[in-house]
Amino acid sequence: MDVMKGYFNQTDSSWNKYIASAVNDMVEAGVEIISDGQTRDPFVNIFTRKLKGCRIRDRTEVIGKVEYTGPITVEDQKYVRTLVPKNRQLIGLLTGPYTLTKSSVDLFYNDEKELAFDFAYALKQEAQLLQKYVDILSIDEPFFSMCVPDYGKELINTITKDISCPTRLHTCGDISNVIPEILEMPVDILSHEFKASPKLFDSFKQYNFTKNICLGSVRSDNVRIETVDEIVNHIKNGIDVFGDKISQLAPDCGLRMLPRDVAFQKLKNLVKAGEKVYGG
Amino acid sequence: MFSFTKEQKVFDISGIRIGGQPGVYPTVLFGGLFFKGEPNFSEAKKQIKNMLDISNKTGNPAIPDFFIKKEQHIEEIINFIEKTLPKNHPFSIDIIEPSLKIKILECLDERNLLPRTVYNSIHVGITDEERKALKKYTPEMAIIVAFNPKDKSPDGKIEVLQNGANLTDAGLLDIAKNLGIKKILIDTAALAPGDNSGAAIAAIPVVKEEYGLPAGCAIHNVVEKSKWLVNFESAKKSVDASSNVNIPLFGGNFAIFGPIENSELVFPIIAWQDILISEYTENYFGINPVASHPRRKLF
Repeated sequence: MDVMKGYFNQTDSSWNKYIASAVNDMVEAGVEIISDGQTRDPFVNIFTRKLKGCRIRDRTEVIGKVEYTGPITVEDQKYVRTLVPKNRQLIGLLTGPYTLTKSSVDLFYNDEKELAFDFAYALKQEAQLLQKYVDILSIDEPFFSMCVPDYGKELINTITKDISCPTRLHTCGDISNVIPEILEMPVDILSHEFKASPKLFDSFKQYNFTKNICLGSVRSDNVRIETVDEIVNHIKNGIDVFGDKISQLAPDCGLRMLPRDVAFQKLKNLVKAGEKVYGG
Repeated sequence: MFSFTKEQKVFDISGIRIGGQPGVYPTVLFGGLFFKGEPNFSEAKKQIKNMLDISNKTGNPAIPDFFIKKEQHIEEIINFIEKTLPKNHPFSIDIIEPSLKIKILECLDERNLLPRTVYNSIHVGITDEERKALKKYTPEMAIIVAFNPKDKSPDGKIEVLQNGANLTDAGLLDIAKNLGIKKILIDTAALAPGDNSGAAIAAIPVVKEEYGLPAGCAIHNVVEKSKWLVNFESAKKSVDASSNVNIPLFGGNFAIFGPIENSELVFPIIAWQDILISEYTENYFGINPVASHPRRKLF
């Protein structure tokens, strides 16, 4: 591993080459909205590693009051901007406060709501900085698929209020039991795992909605590479339900568990399918 | 000066004991040879003899740490170890290149030297081939370098030992144990000034309280990288040698103190520090130093 050479030579070990590798794959596959790839760490650790009050053992442990101490993903996004063509957009990724709370071992607060809001206040500061460098902000809240707490809307609002760029809430998993709460969330776009959970199409049909949709269209938990035609059919199913509310096509979730070549091919096919349906 | 609540392990390699509560065993000192890659054996022979003589005087055990940087030197350095070191005296091998590590392990096994070997080191860059070699040719003792490129604080060092910080498939401690290495020393990974260099010292009591394992580091590396010291040429060697007192002061058990030629300065400084600690820990905690401790040898 190159970082060890840096250690033995007592030189700086930059992570940029790993970010560049993920970003270049996205660019080459034709993806239009590019993230930093979240290569540094699992999505919870990226944030808890830099927040005061947290330490990482087997899981994140909260050992003091959670506070923001400075930019977490901003420098990586600035670097991504230098790598991508001007016609591509950047998406900033925040792991949501409820997911951070549910993923951590709380040794300090003994109050889930209080901890979740302190995470939210910290993430708000990151969002305020990040909005200057990205075109859209996405909040990942997979734990909402199991339960949206009664303060869930207020929690997300703590982050998205007064943010100038469009915002997105990504909740993977089967959200059919929490759709009414999800539809109330103060974000512009809802992103869900429609490929792995196609029954969500039927679930959403029962509701009126005004938000845009990011349609999960290739599976992130399966190495089988969906064909372009299969993805086209899936998008058409989505259009039947959401019409022109579909503003983004994406993998169901992050692709970090897949082999790199499989992830790349899935992205390529997704882009081709999108072009077939919506034009190049 | 303090004592740990966690039971402290003590490991023996060829009669040298490393670990334990502060004030029991003298700090073990690793003196480096062949940093530059080209071995000078006649000079090295004198330096080793000198280090062992001083070690004998103060009571601080000495372990020569051999840098091996080229394949063509493997054979001659191992011949030198066999001929020069006292019978059964332990030594450590300090190698960066993974392919070279494997060849050296094979060679040490052929010569039946693995029971005297401290393997320096296992870290997050460990390769599958290196693991296979270590499983087949298991050294008596290994140093794990707790370097976490994601987090250079003591917490980050614990993380890499515990779960590999998602850089390896398991924590470094489990990796070493699964390879059959029973005697593990933790090097808390000293980094350059400006890169949380103090964390290597702060991590020593954290590691010892968490795992009870012997801990230390090469704090000398921080001095080497302190460029401003070039303006204090006459003080540089003293700073270098005395930087090592931080290790026993924070409860550590070994110092990888840099070039072996620094032995004359390092051993008395560490002996002095060990005595200071022992006096207090015996008075306050009732911890008695072993017979070979500098406090017993020099008083």
